[in-house]
Amino acid sequence: MKKLVLLALSLFLVISFTVSAGAKTLKVGLDADPVSLDPQVQLSGGMLQLSHWVFDPLVRWTQEMTFEPRLATKWERLDELTMRFTLRQGVKFHSGNTFTAKDVKWSFDRMRTSVDFKGLLDPFEGCTIVDDYTIDVKTKKPYALLLNMATYFFAMDSEFYTGTDANGQPKDAVLKIGESFALNNESGTGPFRATKRELGVVLEMERFTDYWDTKSPGNVTKIILTPIKENATRVAALLSGDVDFISPVPPQDFSRVDSDDKVKLVNISGGRIITFQMNQKRVEAFKDVRVRQAIVHAVNNTGIVQQIMKGTATVAAQQGPRGYAGYKESLTPRYDLAKAKMLMKEAGFEKGFEITMMAPNDRYVNDAKIAEAVAQMLGKINIKVHLKTMPKAQYWNEFDARAADMMMIGWHSDTEDSGNFSEFLMMCENKETGYGQYNSGYCNPKIDELTVAAQSETNLEKRAAMLQEIEQILYDDAAFVPLHWQNHSYGAKKNIQVKPIINVMNFPYFGDLVVE
Amino acid sequence: MASFIVLVIFLILAITAPWISPMNPYDSHNIDIMNSEIPPMWMEGGSPEFILGTDNMGRDMLSTMFYGLRTSIIIGIGAVSLQAFIGIVLGLSAGYMGGKTDAILMRIADIQFSFPYLMVAIFIGAVFQLLFGVGSYERLAIPLLTLIIGLSNWPMFARTIRASVMGEKNKEYVEAARVIGLPRFTIMFRHVLPNSLTSVMVIFTIQVASAIQSEAALSFLGLGMPVTRPSLGSLIRAGQEYIFSGSWWITIFPGLWLVVFVLVINLLGDWLRDVLNPKLYKG
Amino acid sequence: MFAFIIRRIIQAVVVMMVISLVGFSIKSKIGDPVRDLVGERVTPEERAQIADKMGLNDPFLIQYTRFVKQALKGDLGRSFIYNKPALEVIVRHAPATLELLIGTALIIIFVSLPLGIQSALQPRSLLSRFTMSFSTLGVSMPVFLTAILLIYLFAVNLQILPSYGRGETVDLFGNGYWKTGFLTHDGRMHLILPCLSLSSIMLPLFIRLIRSEMMEVLETEYIKYAWAKGLSPARIWMVHAFKNTLLPVITVFGVQMGITFAFTILTELVFQWQGMGFIFLEAVERSDISLLIAYLVVVAGVFVLVNTVVDIIYGFINPTIRIAGTR
Repeated sequence: MKKLVLLALSLFLVISFTVSAGAKTLKVGLDADPVSLDPQVQLSGGMLQLSHWVFDPLVRWTQEMTFEPRLATKWERLDELTMRFTLRQGVKFHSGNTFTAKDVKWSFDRMRTSVDFKGLLDPFEGCTIVDDYTIDVKTKKPYALLLNMATYFFAMDSEFYTGTDANGQPKDAVLKIGESFALNNESGTGPFRATKRELGVVLEMERFTDYWDTKSPGNVTKIILTPIKENATRVAALLSGDVDFISPVPPQDFSRVDSDDKVKLVNISGGRIITFQMNQKRVEAFKDVRVRQAIVHAVNNTGIVQQIMKGTATVAAQQGPRGYAGYKESLTPRYDLAKAKMLMKEAGFEKGFEITMMAPNDRYVNDAKIAEAVAQMLGKINIKVHLKTMPKAQYWNEFDARAADMMMIGWHSDTEDSGNFSEFLMMCENKETGYGQYNSGYCNPKIDELTVAAQSETNLEKRAAMLQEIEQILYDDAAFVPLHWQNHSYGAKKNIQVKPIINVMNFPYFGDLVVE
Repeated sequence: MASFIVLVIFLILAITAPWISPMNPYDSHNIDIMNSEIPPMWMEGGSPEFILGTDNMGRDMLSTMFYGLRTSIIIGIGAVSLQAFIGIVLGLSAGYMGGKTDAILMRIADIQFSFPYLMVAIFIGAVFQLLFGVGSYERLAIPLLTLIIGLSNWPMFARTIRASVMGEKNKEYVEAARVIGLPRFTIMFRHVLPNSLTSVMVIFTIQVASAIQSEAALSFLGLGMPVTRPSLGSLIRAGQEYIFSGSWWITIFPGLWLVVFVLVINLLGDWLRDVLNPKLYKG
Repeated sequence: MFAFIIRRIIQAVVVMMVISLVGFSIKSKIGDPVRDLVGERVTPEERAQIADKMGLNDPFLIQYTRFVKQALKGDLGRSFIYNKPALEVIVRHAPATLELLIGTALIIIFVSLPLGIQSALQPRSLLSRFTMSFSTLGVSMPVFLTAILLIYLFAVNLQILPSYGRGETVDLFGNGYWKTGFLTHDGRMHLILPCLSLSSIMLPLFIRLIRSEMMEVLETEYIKYAWAKGLSPARIWMVHAFKNTLLPVITVFGVQMGITFAFTILTELVFQWQGMGFIFLEAVERSDISLLIAYLVVVAGVFVLVNTVVDIIYGFINPTIRIAGTR
């Protein structure tokens, strides 16, 4: 059987090679390759990118942050708790099976069993199939972000993933470690089917000939994705023509990529906020709002954006970027060294003190450099910083232990909504509810109250007011040190139409990519 | 001889770094992020305030190089002295005594070798952090790195010494010394060791270079000197990313600085060798 | 000889035991592999459960005993990041590194021997002066700087050599284990830069070593006697002097290839060369403890083996030196 499949596959490869003479192959160099072919095994940027190539969600975000119908063609609210989705007809999975409502329900139920996704799906009651192409999605409480969450509902082929594999293991098992069927086999409805995969080495995808979206302008027939971890090497690979498309482009190489006559640089602002948190449980002085204000005033985040990020980031003074419900225009960056010094003097810390600081060195764009710059800046108000940067595998452990007085944390809202920031970063740490999982040492009951209340407020105007109040309180309280929202950057050959397929989430929709 | 003078100049620069540097790159009061990546003064956009330009953090390159040299010298020489000490003692004992001692010591060398020094560094670094907390890392980074590089590279000495001792120990003069009844210790250190000194010298010079490179390699992987206290190695590492972007001076200057420095040490080693060589074989 | 080999095997086992023990004792300190498996949204409780399932929370001795038992069956644990048996991951990546080392060794041998001998025989000639100054320069370049400069020059500016990866490979045995780059033009082109940058650190050392050893040998009474006997220069240089030069060179070669092996870690990182060094870094960075320990054990084993072979060769070349441990 296995041999047969292999034979069929190689036959297919041979055929597709001969047929696709003159086909558009896109060689992609990313900093990492997706860890699995199972879209529900890990909630991470890389896996979501893959999901958009190989699978399709019910709806997806557009560049303008509106919803674009994918597998769902229409949606309407039945009541406060329910949303009815009308599904697309005539959609085929890579296996040849036909997509129906039962696949949506099956995928949703399976997603619930994944540790990575179940937290996100907590507000949901479940899915009910109305008919083959209609499905109702119910939440436990009124939930304003139902549609936002529908961007996570990727349909998996329920028939394909049912049964047991060669090892006698159920094919639908969500396994992080060990072999599972879904890890190495896929059947989605997406524009590409994975044809060859060697973890950490290469992922090859070919255009799905029966793809439902025949209107898509995309003309890439094959993608060869290679992980190139080292920044300089990735840029070199693009410049030397070894690959056609890279991401991310390190800021220090922007001008180099931009000025090259064969390649171009494309930037889009992203929603990931980079911050430093001040741990009030560890440092007595941080309890003084004047000290916190002094720190925020001492950090020249405009300078960081200009010099370290080379202008390709947006200076931040609050959690959510422009366009988010909680964004408040009046909150502006506060760099003012003289005022910072004065505040320190007022608080009685003119002579300063010593603190420890930790940051990852492979998680965010130029994270270690940013941390170094911030450490230098704090030195100017006589806060002596002992900085340690480390790989993220070690950093998260340290963060969990809240091992330093100031820790770097970046956050991208899962729901593209302001509330998500506060839930994870600013609400008092609570092991039971999971709130404040990435909050190292700030706690204000008022924030908790407002954030929770905003969750079930379906009047969008009222909700926005609440979210803006949160931002105002955090700003006045100098609850954290806001730095910037990081941009997503792509480098590509000139003939590749990158602009139309990118978005704030950093999910390049390769299915729609046009190569001239 | 010229190399010796240059080396002395380097040493003087390193020792007097705090007084001759245009600014103290470790003092954050002097550093402004807005001054980052300023090219050397003779280039467009350069400023006479920063003769060789600034790095990506806005530190004066020249000052940073003086201070970095200092750090690299301390770590390099400290580590190699440690290596040499351990290596010579163990290599001599192994080569001369042979048998069990040899087997055991060389096995230890193997164990050591099978651990890339990176691993040793991670190990000691982790334990260290548990013991002292992150706050002290900056202060203790230099002795720690010296220790790590010292401990991680001694087998080179030991193996070479052992090899040359094994070739040497059956020679007549050693036999003669043994027959006279000189104690083992004396024979080892006074008679066998001097005859292995050529190799020690050659290796010592190379090892200082390699120790500085090891330090750079550790920094390359984020395990070396903290970013706020750069050595030459971490300077090159920090600048390496900027080579493509046109800010070549961040890498090239410390790179040249390091290359010249190591070159001088190596030339000195050659010179020493030429001086020592005849003595070894005539005496 | 037989007893010697047996003894070495026993030693190898002991070494691997010690190393795995050390590896195990640090495993809790190098980070949490669960963190890397899950997204950033997963709660600590759930992570703890996963860790439990993976047996990461069991007492040290239990974990270690389990490891040793499995290891005796040839199972060194399972790599989290590659999701395959760790040993298989290493074996699959070893050829890449080995080919890097072979390429480097070839460069070293074919460049350092002629240059080293030449500069020993004619120390004052222009070529040997150039060689010596160039080699001293080469030794002072950090390997990653060399690598980056080579990429910059040959891949970005001149665009005549590829900048990363192994290129087109041929499956040597048809089972996917040994994919060689030596058999295709593309593969060989990809080998050039990494091998060059790797050899740049060892070449100077070997040229100097060969030169100094050769010069030393030429000074000996034995060679002077050969001159006096009226042997031809070629015979003296190539047979008598060269043979004696070879002895220390081979020992150092064994040791240096080991060090080169460590340097492959850096080269592989810069060139994104999917070899053992690359997976080692991945393992460290992403806390893949099983892979890390398996790597250490395998590397330790290989080192003991190589050293044994070097000692045996050493014994053949110079029979007056007894092999350690054979008394």
